[in-house]
Amino acid sequence: MNILYLLIPLALTIAGGAVLAFTWSVRSGQLDDLDTPPRRMLAEDRDR
Amino acid sequence: MIAAMTPGGEPRVRAAGLERMLGAGDGGRDGDGDGDGDGDGGSDGDGDGGRDGDGGRDGDGGSDGDGDVRGLGTEVGRGRGKGKGRGEGREGGASDELRCAHCGLSALERPTDEPELPRTEDDRWYCCAGCQTVAEALRAGGLEQWYDVAGADRAPARTTGRKYEELDDPTFTARRVTTSEDGLAHTQLYLEDLRCTACVWLVERLPTIEPGVVEARVDLGRGLAEVAFDPRRAPLSRIAAALDRLGHPVHPYLQVDRDAQRRREDRSLLLRIGLAGAAAGNVMLLAAALYAGWLGGAMTATETTFLRWTSMIVALPMLGYAAIPFFRTALASLRSRRLHLDLPIALGIAAGLVGGAVNVLRGRGEIYFDSVGMLVFLLLIARFIQARHQRKASVAAEMLLALTPRRARLLDDAGRASEVPVEAVQLGQRFEVLPGETVPLDGVLEEGSTTIDRSLLTGESRPAQANVGDELFAGTLNLSAAVRLRATAAGEATRVGQLVARVAELARRRAPVERLVDRVAGKFVAVVTSAAALTIGGWALAGQLGAGVEHAMALLVVTCPCALALATPLAVSVALSRAARRGLLIKGADALEALAHPGVIVLDKTGTVTLGAHRVVSWAGDPSAAALASALERQSRHPVAQALRSHAAPADVTFEDVRETLGGGVLGTLARPGGAPTQLAVGSPRWIAAHAALPAELEPALAAARARGESVALVAVDKTVVAVAGLADPLRDDARAAVQQLRALGWDVELLSGDDELAVRRAGQALGLDEARCRGGVLPEDKAARIEELRARTRHGAVVMVGDGVNDAAALAAATCGVATHGSAEASIEAADVYASQPGVAHLVTLVEGARATLRTIHRNLRLSLLYNLSVGVLAVTGVLHPLLAAVLMPLSSLTVLLSSVRSRAMLPPATKVRTAPAARARRDADPGAADPSHRPLVAAASAAARESLAAAAPEGLP
Repeated sequence: MNILYLLIPLALTIAGGAVLAFTWSVRSGQLDDLDTPPRRMLAEDRDR
Repeated sequence: MIAAMTPGGEPRVRAAGLERMLGAGDGGRDGDGDGDGDGDGGSDGDGDGGRDGDGGRDGDGGSDGDGDVRGLGTEVGRGRGKGKGRGEGREGGASDELRCAHCGLSALERPTDEPELPRTEDDRWYCCAGCQTVAEALRAGGLEQWYDVAGADRAPARTTGRKYEELDDPTFTARRVTTSEDGLAHTQLYLEDLRCTACVWLVERLPTIEPGVVEARVDLGRGLAEVAFDPRRAPLSRIAAALDRLGHPVHPYLQVDRDAQRRREDRSLLLRIGLAGAAAGNVMLLAAALYAGWLGGAMTATETTFLRWTSMIVALPMLGYAAIPFFRTALASLRSRRLHLDLPIALGIAAGLVGGAVNVLRGRGEIYFDSVGMLVFLLLIARFIQARHQRKASVAAEMLLALTPRRARLLDDAGRASEVPVEAVQLGQRFEVLPGETVPLDGVLEEGSTTIDRSLLTGESRPAQANVGDELFAGTLNLSAAVRLRATAAGEATRVGQLVARVAELARRRAPVERLVDRVAGKFVAVVTSAAALTIGGWALAGQLGAGVEHAMALLVVTCPCALALATPLAVSVALSRAARRGLLIKGADALEALAHPGVIVLDKTGTVTLGAHRVVSWAGDPSAAALASALERQSRHPVAQALRSHAAPADVTFEDVRETLGGGVLGTLARPGGAPTQLAVGSPRWIAAHAALPAELEPALAAARARGESVALVAVDKTVVAVAGLADPLRDDARAAVQQLRALGWDVELLSGDDELAVRRAGQALGLDEARCRGGVLPEDKAARIEELRARTRHGAVVMVGDGVNDAAALAAATCGVATHGSAEASIEAADVYASQPGVAHLVTLVEGARATLRTIHRNLRLSLLYNLSVGVLAVTGVLHPLLAAVLMPLSSLTVLLSSVRSRAMLPPATKVRTAPAARARRDADPGAADPSHRPLVAAASAAARESLAAAAPEGLP
């Protein structure tokens, strides 16, 4: 069971990375508009 | 978790459905008086507010200067009318039918007030000038792929053909355009009719057709486009005109100041949701391990301790940060001594976090991190839903405001007119107001004379004559001729401005409705804290103080009113999004609560219970003269002309030598092949006395019409009066039924109007109201006073004001709940709690019933969550509750509340009325005015976008 002492911190580090990425994305304004991107994506590949 | 925060999950499907749905509700006001296709300025003006009234322009296919002055109402109407038409056409499915090459609208559903377009050289047919413009712009720009993107989801396009010169004015540039270091200019523009994927695609391709544009980004939720352009290569006006040609008329974005703060709030809430979600997820996994260890018993003490410490390290900082808003409001509520639901919530969270941490340090006892994590996460989501709703409603209202005229036609010394923003006009400068336009500033008439519709300001339904030297007020509508004025007051100094300032003052003074949830929360805090104290005391008496503290802690955590906090936002969100889909924008839960208890409903007359436009209501004499009179009045913008035109289709004849006398009538000569020319005159009795004689047999008819309070127009052929037309502003078809229904629901109904006493009393009679309940000749300021008087007198129930003009705005703000109807003036929209995008009063019944049903749902939710709290509370106090059970019960209670909210039928259309298309068609047929699906362009975009996002944010989309 001692593998827990390695795996849990490892998992938490990865989770921490995800949280940091999320924080960055919010702070840089990527999530300011939640309505348009899902639609923009639908039409994007029409470009030539 | 991220998925949870993107409630726009399936917006596309909904959007299409919405368009259909919106189509159902079109109504009389849109169509008022423009079955004729030109010049309905007056009739719209009555109700649609000052910015409107250029129906004439619409009729011309928007070829002249300022298509966007028109009222919001209009816009909604058009979006709908046309949308519907299209839907029906398609259902009809005749394959060889003539269809618009741009929007696919069937020729049968073509807007009737547009000039009919011939087939183009390449054999295409367009339903309207807007569609043709857009189709040509698409072809010229090589953007025909738009048709693939849009698929079947197309609607008739609207363009105004404006030049947008005012956007290049330095005063505008200085305030609304920012320049970045690379020399590019950035600005935000409101775009009309921004509603679907294809719109996003199209607008973002702007750089390909307008090389000066570097980038265009659409924000669908707010109906905005952010444009980066090179001012040396393209002035903003050219870019705006290009967008206009693509079917998206442009308006300047005015709310820049509020943006930064909003963005900060939005981001911080998202961040907290993200952190709470991450913490809750991870801690829950660790808790699962702990519970498993506890059940299986195979875990060593070291491992348990390790897991507990890890939980704490993960949970404490992240949850602590995420829960800051709750602590903050709780503190504020303690300080102001007003109980707030966040107080027990903060108490529960704090108890869980602190208690958990203490127990980790002590090495025994429960840690509550998993429960607290879930709690914070769910609560933040509830907040997110709530914030999103409020944002949508306020954005929609702002967009309505952006559509008001903020331009004036300033005259230079040489008398040349140029369009400038209203702010740029100095006092004493001269400006011009064209017929059909709203007067932008207060001013003294210097050149010309005209008739003025002041209904927006005073509620008076008859137009007034204005001559040189008269003062004209901003917000009134110029009906008949171009006039030149010298500015005497601008902005807040205008009479409208002062009225609006009064509105703001009243709105500030409005006592907040005491929220049901907060009342419940107050009792809740008292009960829970005393129960916790009793628990400690009880267990201490039994000699187990430690256990007592433990159980009290458990009590605080498990009874933390998560479900209670969700109960209201969920029920309210469901109701608001459904209401929005039915054309009712409700700005907050307070309004629902006020509307749920019967009180007094005060109705404005002009435009609210009446059509807000004159119609022919009686006709004596030769019926065949009607078509001739209608033909003679073809060119006139006068309300009488509009009334005559909507009364009878113009005869297919051409008059020569047509002369219109202001305040008098119209005279014309009809050349008959092979006969003597006939002279026709239509006008007021006084004016016509000079042109024709009134035969004795028509005298009683004239007297009777006057006795009924109608305005009279006479029709004379060859110097003899042949017909007497009585004109009045008739009641809306559904008004009487709606008023009766409201009274049956327990509401007192009162009529309050600035129009003259007699007219108001007659309207009241027709509605079935007592004479005592009808008040006429009320000044705007006195309306608010009357509302306050009623509020002081009404103990139970709300005082609801329903109106549309600026003259109602102060009263709307003073009322417990103000309802602005379709086509309201901007001040009214701002002051009101509810904006109905349908004209008339029928929607009030929906609103009131829906509010009651919503409140019932809220009550049910509260009962459910209190029941849950009571039962787990008892378990916790007695020490029987295992944390595992608590962890399972807590989300279960939230789930129950969610299901109960979604199942509620509040604001749902009655099951029998699901298909309203035939009804809408029948109504259109019945009312010639409404037949023009058309034109009325405004904020369909705003409200459709809002509706849509409301729908997307509805809790159905919740995880």
